[in-house]
Amino acid sequence: MATPQRQKLAIITTFWDWRSHANHMGERFLCGYPRDGRWHRPAFDVAGVFVDQSPGQDVSRQRAEECGFTIYSTIAEALRLGTDALAVDGVLLIGEHGDYPANDKGQKLYPRYEFFSQIVDVFRQDGRSVPVFNDKHLSYSFDKAEQMVAAARELDFPLLAGSSLPVTFRLPPLELSLGCHIEEALMIGVGGSDAMDFHALEAMQCMVERRQGGETGVAAVQLIEGDAVWQAGQQGRWSRRLLEGALARSDSRSGIALSDGRPQNLAHSGELEELVEKPAAYFIDYEDGLQATLLMLNGAVQDSTFAARLGGAEGEVVSLQFLLPGAPNVTYSACLMQKAEEMFVTGRAPYPVERTLLTSGMLERCLESKVDGHRRVATPELRVSYQAPAASHFGGAPTD
Amino acid sequence: MMAARRPRVAALVTEYRKYSHGQNIVDRLMGGYGWGSRWHQPELDVVSLYVDQFPESDLSRERETRHDDLRIYPTIAEALTLGGNELDVDGVVLIAEHGVYPKNEQGQTLYPRYEFFQQTVDVFRASGRSVPVFCDKHLSWNWEWAQEMVAISRELDFPFMAGSSVPISRRVPSVDLPWGAETEEIVGVGVGGIDSYDIHTLEGMQSLAERREGGETGVVAVHAMRGDAVWQALDDGAWDAALFEACLCRSFSLKPLDESHRHTYPTREELPQLVGSPPVAYRIEYADGLKGTMFLMEGLVRDITVAARLADREDPLSLLFYLGAGHQMQPNFFNPMCHHIENLIVHGKPPFPIERTLLTTGLSIAGVTSLWQGEKFETPHLDINYQVDESSTFRRA
Repeated sequence: MATPQRQKLAIITTFWDWRSHANHMGERFLCGYPRDGRWHRPAFDVAGVFVDQSPGQDVSRQRAEECGFTIYSTIAEALRLGTDALAVDGVLLIGEHGDYPANDKGQKLYPRYEFFSQIVDVFRQDGRSVPVFNDKHLSYSFDKAEQMVAAARELDFPLLAGSSLPVTFRLPPLELSLGCHIEEALMIGVGGSDAMDFHALEAMQCMVERRQGGETGVAAVQLIEGDAVWQAGQQGRWSRRLLEGALARSDSRSGIALSDGRPQNLAHSGELEELVEKPAAYFIDYEDGLQATLLMLNGAVQDSTFAARLGGAEGEVVSLQFLLPGAPNVTYSACLMQKAEEMFVTGRAPYPVERTLLTSGMLERCLESKVDGHRRVATPELRVSYQAPAASHFGGAPTD
Repeated sequence: MMAARRPRVAALVTEYRKYSHGQNIVDRLMGGYGWGSRWHQPELDVVSLYVDQFPESDLSRERETRHDDLRIYPTIAEALTLGGNELDVDGVVLIAEHGVYPKNEQGQTLYPRYEFFQQTVDVFRASGRSVPVFCDKHLSWNWEWAQEMVAISRELDFPFMAGSSVPISRRVPSVDLPWGAETEEIVGVGVGGIDSYDIHTLEGMQSLAERREGGETGVVAVHAMRGDAVWQALDDGAWDAALFEACLCRSFSLKPLDESHRHTYPTREELPQLVGSPPVAYRIEYADGLKGTMFLMEGLVRDITVAARLADREDPLSLLFYLGAGHQMQPNFFNPMCHHIENLIVHGKPPFPIERTLLTTGLSIAGVTSLWQGEKFETPHLDINYQVDESSTFRRA
């Protein structure tokens, strides 16, 4: 049997140190990664690399020497590998980390759109396109994100994007059935904005997009902070029953559970309100009437959990934790690169980029609400429609 | 219909300090824990506590103050009779793990599980009545005593559950060995030392192995080794290398040689450097020909994984027993254990046969003995037969 021909990849990134996304993702193609109980070595060679910022802790040069790839000074050269035409079979665009300014909404202005535009310029000039994976949101700007998706459609290349949360391991391994009725959804997230709230929003989106009728977009959003979050809960704006459901899946330690070991019923004990430093609620009102809430509960939890009330007479509540295994393996990034590799191999994105497009827009509009008096923001531009994939794509998902 | 009275439970613990097994289990039984999509409050009341040792960090007295129903008694008999003349509880939870107890020359900590058990069944006998008993981890460090404990539970006919939280914890992926599958070989990679932690990996492996074609028919020999002998056996092909790789590839904590986040799979040369303390292997010969190998490789990994070679599939079956992310998280692997304890006491049904833990108790003792003697240890006494149901008992949706 002939050995399958190895293909070439380009990595276009802002910054590459040991703890960067570029490292966690790039290394999977350089060293392999655990996949279904085997050490999987992708049939890809990282060939061309562009790194925008190379301060002292940069390791891309060291890795280039060790692994035999070339660092180019422009994106076009990294894609053409020093020749005069596109010479790679896939692109990893990792615009996370590095020293970039933030705007008045607190968004870090990572140049994903700008990098992507330069990639597309090469595709256009050379008359050929290859699959692109874009780490995290498409852009801080929904307008730019839309242009990215439009360019991929126009040039007809597969584009996969987003967070690792939708594809990481789940406890329990819950997938909502396609076409299910969802009455209400709640996500609990942690970390800062606009790095971590994006992950939580996309995790929530990958669950609710499976509802009856498919995704038809978001009509309005609102972000509130502080005591107003608890008051909104008392007024029924978000469900304490779903909070209990999500927290039942949390394995975090804080407060009394940390000081003397007793697990606490945080949803009802009153301790939650004391533990959370600065609560925030992101309200997402969907076009089809579904209401979903992201609660950022820093101080009380360190993990990401989700709960939803399904339709039917029982009003069953389902819930799960998006498990993010920590150092040294951070295997959630291997789960994400498995999906990127699947796209490079098959030429098809395993799940629609519209999920990330919509999430990018929800986040930007929520942050507009935040800096504009926490008002409700109508979002007619977020009528993003798509169908969720029938297959599950999370880590360890049942394949039978 | 008369409303059923909530079962009353006696808890016998060696010590009750933060994150001791006693605290983790009894606090969950008293105060509840996350289960399914709810906070679950068990349908039972822990009313009495016997505590063998009171270190400075003891929390049992604080709990007695906190819970009106709870009283600490100075003896096991009084905890079971609530100070009266006969058995006055509906279930017993025996947690003899942690605390300061002597070690024997083979390295076993002499936790008083058998002694607590004997004092418990003394009350059962004197009262002419028995109630369900849960025993945390293995049955005893002494094989004859373990056997006697199981024999007494049969004689007095009370439901008896024991063992580690590993078999009933979450799994990633969330799968079980197909019931009745023809199984050729099984490998487990775990952490910790002999006698204390080997039981966890052994029980995890056994909870899969017992589902194989023909059920469990026992073990004929255990050959344990430590240090360089383990690497020598690896080079000699003593076990299926793909199973060992499958275990490492299911781990969430596989240590790379370069710890600064280079995500490499260890080479053969790197393995001895990565395992901090000398590695241990128990090579287990089952009566029906199944081959088992349990490794303790603290340093290389920090979690417990298992892989099995099934006759009818090309790729090994492999999984991680997910116990949480170390000390950053709550030890919620005690949640499924408390779920099973509640079922045991309320419904009188152990989730799996006590023979599983009897066999793993025997395997742990055989491993320790083989290491001590420096040679293969024949185990005709582990002629233990049992069958499990098709339904799985680990934590999943």
